[in-house]
Order: sequence, then structure tokens, then C-alpha cells
Amino acid sequence: MSPTVRILPEGLSFQAAEGAVLADVLDGAGFAMSLYCGRRGLCGKCLVEIVRGPLPALADEERALLARRRLPLNFRQSCRFRIEADLDVRVPEFSRLPRIPVLSRGVERSFPIEPDIRKIRLSVPPPALDSPVALLDLVRARFPRIGLEAAPGALRALIRAWEGGGPGSEFTAVVFADRTLLTAEPGDTADQAYGIAVDLGTTTLVVELVDLTSGAVIDTAAALNPQVKFGSDVVSRISAAFGAPDRAAELRDIVTASLNGMIEGLCARNGVPRDRVYEAVVAGNTAMNHLFLGLPVDTLAVAPYFAAFSVLPPVPVPDSGLAIHPAGRVIIAPNIKSFVGGDISAGLAAIDAGSHPGNFLFIDLGTNGELVLKKGPRFTATSTAAGPAFEGMTISCGMLALPGAVFKAEDRDGGTAVETIEGRPACGVCGTGLIDLIASALRQGRLSSEGHIAGASKRIPVDGPVELTQKDVREVQLAAAAVKTGIQMLLEANGTSVAELDTLYVAGAFGNYLNVPNAMALGLLPRVPEEKIRFIGNSSLAGARAMLLSAEERKRCEALVGKIDHESLARGAAFQELFVEALEFKEWS
Amino acid sequence: MEDLNARYARMAEAVVAGDAEAAAGLARQALDEQLDLPAVIEQGYIPGIRRVGELWESGDYFLPELISSAAAMKAALTVLGPALEASGAAGLSRGRIVIGTIEGDIHDIGKNLVASMLSANGFDVVDLGSDVKADRFIDAAVETRADLICLSALLTTTMLGQRRVVERLRERGLRDRFKVLVGGAPVSRAWAAEIGADGYGENALAAVKQAAALAAAKVTP
Repeated sequence: MSPTVRILPEGLSFQAAEGAVLADVLDGAGFAMSLYCGRRGLCGKCLVEIVRGPLPALADEERALLARRRLPLNFRQSCRFRIEADLDVRVPEFSRLPRIPVLSRGVERSFPIEPDIRKIRLSVPPPALDSPVALLDLVRARFPRIGLEAAPGALRALIRAWEGGGPGSEFTAVVFADRTLLTAEPGDTADQAYGIAVDLGTTTLVVELVDLTSGAVIDTAAALNPQVKFGSDVVSRISAAFGAPDRAAELRDIVTASLNGMIEGLCARNGVPRDRVYEAVVAGNTAMNHLFLGLPVDTLAVAPYFAAFSVLPPVPVPDSGLAIHPAGRVIIAPNIKSFVGGDISAGLAAIDAGSHPGNFLFIDLGTNGELVLKKGPRFTATSTAAGPAFEGMTISCGMLALPGAVFKAEDRDGGTAVETIEGRPACGVCGTGLIDLIASALRQGRLSSEGHIAGASKRIPVDGPVELTQKDVREVQLAAAAVKTGIQMLLEANGTSVAELDTLYVAGAFGNYLNVPNAMALGLLPRVPEEKIRFIGNSSLAGARAMLLSAEERKRCEALVGKIDHESLARGAAFQELFVEALEFKEWS
Repeated sequence: MEDLNARYARMAEAVVAGDAEAAAGLARQALDEQLDLPAVIEQGYIPGIRRVGELWESGDYFLPELISSAAAMKAALTVLGPALEASGAAGLSRGRIVIGTIEGDIHDIGKNLVASMLSANGFDVVDLGSDVKADRFIDAAVETRADLICLSALLTTTMLGQRRVVERLRERGLRDRFKVLVGGAPVSRAWAAEIGADGYGENALAAVKQAAALAAAKVTP
């Protein structure tokens, strides 16, 4: 006999095998259930209402759960419910696995919230007198199929939590990756789980405080990376740290201090205790994450420029220097190869690169100008070392995209009209503004395609005191040429033409404003139909957040990294010739 | 026949315009007409490459222009070279230079540019490429009887290799035989002094000036 399960209110019906677990049947029917505690009947997040059909007796724990949740007695935990006869079931919204979009724009993709951090409310009575089983083993018995690990610090917390309201009262276990007991807290604190997503950028640091239960980004903070005093690019920071442990330590300390300052501020502003923040995912390029961990950058300083690690096991919080729960974990987004690091693997995670059916080119227009090409099944990455011109550094009037920055420019009445962020008086130019201004000057004949400013002043006026100098134009030429050459060489090495690309992902400094025709006029982007282009903004941060909220996303990212090859541009004999030619502001032919 | 000065002006112009074909064509014409070759170089082509240096400094010329002008210069010199040697006109070469990027470093655009400009400015250049060990620089300098060793480095790490070359020269008793000129992004005048180099070139044009000064000061053994 094959029982029929009917799901209300949708009215969908499914056949189920006798004795099958209801949660599995619902999952197979497309109703992904929140199986938070791994089907152990511990979390109460998979409750469904049995509208019609036999109701198995309620165990004491389940009865207590329903009472606590103020639910009628015809609710049951679907992960413990075996189907014996026909059923009508209603799946409440609160039991469905929440899905969250990865990026706010550019790519339509969502993933279910299943973080590595799980908080499970438990109530463990003391063992029997004739069988004084150890506390940890009593807890382990609630997590069958895994050998729950616990370090002495976690055991200390467990004992205190268990004794908290009197021995055997309820406490909350904090479990990581379904494997490690990180800590325990007295009472029911199951809904207070928070994490931090970090974009450890060469130029800017961005920190997000994330609610691990709802998946919501509670608040964000950003700051200029204080390491810029050692130099605006990765090479100068590596040079500073090489063979100089004191300076390497300083580089590490100033970045950690800045991150911790932001974390503290975010928690304080939003009433989140820092000891409820259990995990951080840090996405940065190879040099940045090595410096962050206090690792020598020696291997990155000389050819063949290789990293100390790609996928790193979770780092205990005290080893990371971050001021979140000391029993927590820090995930470093894995490095791909050489200078192409965790910011890119996180970015690829954000777009679910591993599932892309065709060919794509991923460009991160930050300081390091990383590129990833997918051609059929093959992934190749490279770093073009474009320099921070697109982020406003090395430009005389350059600035980040902040109020007062000229971010847009258009031809108007024979001249150039500009727009600033928040309409404030112009005090500088940011990346997108730079592209627009140069494109406009080219069109109006005030700038030659070789980058020479016409006229005696040798300046391009922008607005008021803000103007572009000849040297500024040269900086943009160098940066754009680096990216263009990188793309050309990567395509060439993979026998791919621009026309064969299905998608062009643009991440990084340009956020959402980049004027595509202008970028193409400069030769910065290849000529690709606009409908194939996806602007994905800070994909490193989005990827870090995805890994924080989903263990599956983290594992997929780690698995993809090993498959990505690296192309070294400097090795190619053609590099110089292509680079020099690319210095001209010219559309790709 | 065209006025000689006008002809020299066209030679200079070919270099400034980066027109290798024109530069080579004018050089062949000079050979055919049996013009005084050292004068052709001194008054025709060299003013061209000097003008290029000025245009670089003023920001009017950038890398591509530098490279095409150096190529034009090279084209002319290649045509004139054999004839010059045959005529025994000595002293055309302002000196011989061994150049390369230090061990552990594979970046070479800057070094290539310096090599081009040195060559265009009348030096005999032996380019060892990149990732070059200290002893190889020295061996090449000895073999080719160079006057100058030019060392390029991109990072602090490879910068240390510049110091190594100077040390090895001393260890091999050859320090006085060659002048050492250093350059590259992290390199500075202070660093050059610290390691005992003879000079520092901030960019390709500065390198040419430094090289000229060092070569002139050098006493050939």
C-alpha cells in the first residue's frame, strides 16, 4: 500500500513509501524543509500541521516544544514523522528553508540558509545513578552519526551552561559544520546567532553584520584600508613585509584593529553582543589574507609567486585576531593561485561559477585587475596588476566613490557636464567618472587616442578646481592597458574569441554606474552586446556572505578553487608588445 | 641636392615620428651618397632621440612613442652599423652595457625600455633578459668586455640581488672593472649609495644620462 500525501493549501498530492520520513517526501515535492539540526528532532524548525490523518502520540519533548511555540497539538516534527497512511499536511512558512538572494542586482540567484553555525536548544537530564555517563557523551547521544568534537574550552562552557539554571535545565549548544561543539550557553539562545562577512580589500575594507537565522544583513561599515600608508598596491605591501617581521606585524595589526573597530561599532549600534557573533568569513586577495594571518609573504615576492595556502581549514578565532566569540571560527575564502585569491573565489561563489553552462569572462576591476575565464569546462585565472587608478588612487584628484566625487560625465553643449555623488560640490573624481571624462575628452578632440592632452595648459578641466592632468591620463592608460592585455592574452591562451563569451561579469570598483559604451571606447572592456554584461558590484563581499550563510556554498567554493588554472601574463613573450599597443584609447576591433 | 641640414632635420624627424621605415630609408640614402657617417649620426639622428627625451619629460610622449622612436633609431643604426665598423670609425659606440632583470624577477618592460633607449642613444647593449643570477651578469660583462652593468629590479626582494652583484664583483676582484647602474620601482638613490652602486636611473631617460656620465668617467683598463 502506498500512502498519499496531500499538501495544503496548494493541493499537490504525492505517493510515498510506507514508513518514509515526511520531511524527505516534502523535500522531494519541492518544499525544502529547514532541517537545521540534521533530522535529530532537536530544533523544532521542521514542524508541519497534520490536517487529516493518523497522529502519532506526542513524546514529552515534542509536547513541550509545541507548548513553547504555542502551536496546536496536531503539529508534528516532519523529520521524525514516518508515513503510515494517507495524509493531508500544511507546511507553515516558518518551517520552510529560507532562501536568500546572493546579489542585489546583476545575477538572479538565491540559496537556502544553512550556515555552518547552528545553535541547538537542548535539555539533558542528569545520567542515571547506575550509569553515570559523561556529560559530553550525553550530549553526543543527541547528535547521532557524528562524533561531536569538543575542545576543553567548549567543555568548560558546556558544564557551566548545563548547570546554569540548575543541573539538567535547558541550554543551547553552538555547533560548527555539524562536527564541532564550539561552546554552550545557559537557557535558550538559539535565535541569537550572528556572523561577520568581510571584504578585505587592498584599498577598502567592508564589514557586514549578518543575522545567521534570518540571513539579513543587519548593518554595514566600510573604511579605507590603513595599510595604504605602506603603499597603494599589493607589491609595495609585500615589499614592506618581506624580511621585515616588525613591519609585517604592523601591517597585520593595523588591519585587524580597523576591522575590530568596525565590528565593535556594528555590534554596539545594533544591540548585538559580540559573544553572539560566532563566525567570520574573510574574502581578500592572496597577499591580503597572508598578511592578515601573519604569514610570511616571501613566496609571493619572487617568481613563481606562489601562495602558502589555497583552502585553509577553519581558523580558531584567537588565531585570527578578530574580536568575536573566542570559541568561534574564521573562514578565509580560499586562494586560487598566485595573486588570484579569496576575493575572487568568493566572487565566483557569488555567481555560482561552477554551474555556469557556457563561457564567461569575470573581471574584477579593483587594484589587482583579476580575470577569470571559463571556456567550456576549463577555468583559467590571472592577475593584471592594474593598479588602483580605478579606485581613485594615483590620480591627482582621484577619490573613492564618496559624496562630492564626480562619478558621471556627459557631452553637453560642446562641453562636458558632470554629476557628483549626492550632488555635492565636486572635490574629486572616482573610477566611473574617470572613464566618462576621458571618453568625453576623446570625443571632443581635447584628448588624442595616444593620450595626449591638446592645448598649452595640458589639463582637462572637470569642474571648478578639479581637473585631470597629463600624468592622470597616463595612469589610466597604464591601468586600462594592463586589463586589456590580460583579457587578450587569457582569451588567446584558451583559443577563445570575444564573440564566444556568453556572459561578461564586471565586479569591483565600479559598482553599478559604469557607462559601458565609454568603457568600450577606451578599450577597457571588449565589445560585447550589453545584454551579456552583468554588473555584480562587490561580489567578494556577497560571496563571503553566501559562505557565511551556507555551508554548502562554502564547500562548493572550496571544491571549485582546485579546478582553476593560472596563466602568468609576465611569462608571455607577447606581453610587452600587446601592452604597449593597448596603451592607445581605442575600441576593440 | 638637398641641403645637408635639411637632410639631417628629416633624419631627426623620422626618429621623433617613430617612423622606422623612413629612418632606415634615409640611412640607406646616406650610405649611397657616401655622406660622412659619424656626422649623420651626431647631427641627424641623435638630435632626434634627444628631442624624444624632451617630449617624454614634458609629458607629450609616452611609452608607445618612446618605443617606436627607439625602434626607428635602431633601424637607422642597423643600416649604418656595418659601414661604420668597416670604415674603422671608432668611438661611435659610447660604451658597452650588460643589462638584465635580477634573479627571481620576471618583469622586464621597464628594463626593455631602458635597453632600447640606451641602444638608441649609441650604446652597445647586451640584454641578458630576466631572472638573471649575479654571476651571469659578471661573466657576461667580462666576456663582452662591457663598461657598464645595469641592474633592474621590481621588488625589495630582488633589489637585494643588486647588492649581491656588487658583492660578487668585489669577491671576484672585478669591482673596479665595471660601473654598476641600478634602477626599478623600489630602487632609490639612497639604496644605490647603500649598496655601493655607481649610479641610479629613475627612468629610461635618466638611465641614459647616468650611463653616459659613467661611461665617460670610466677608464678602460
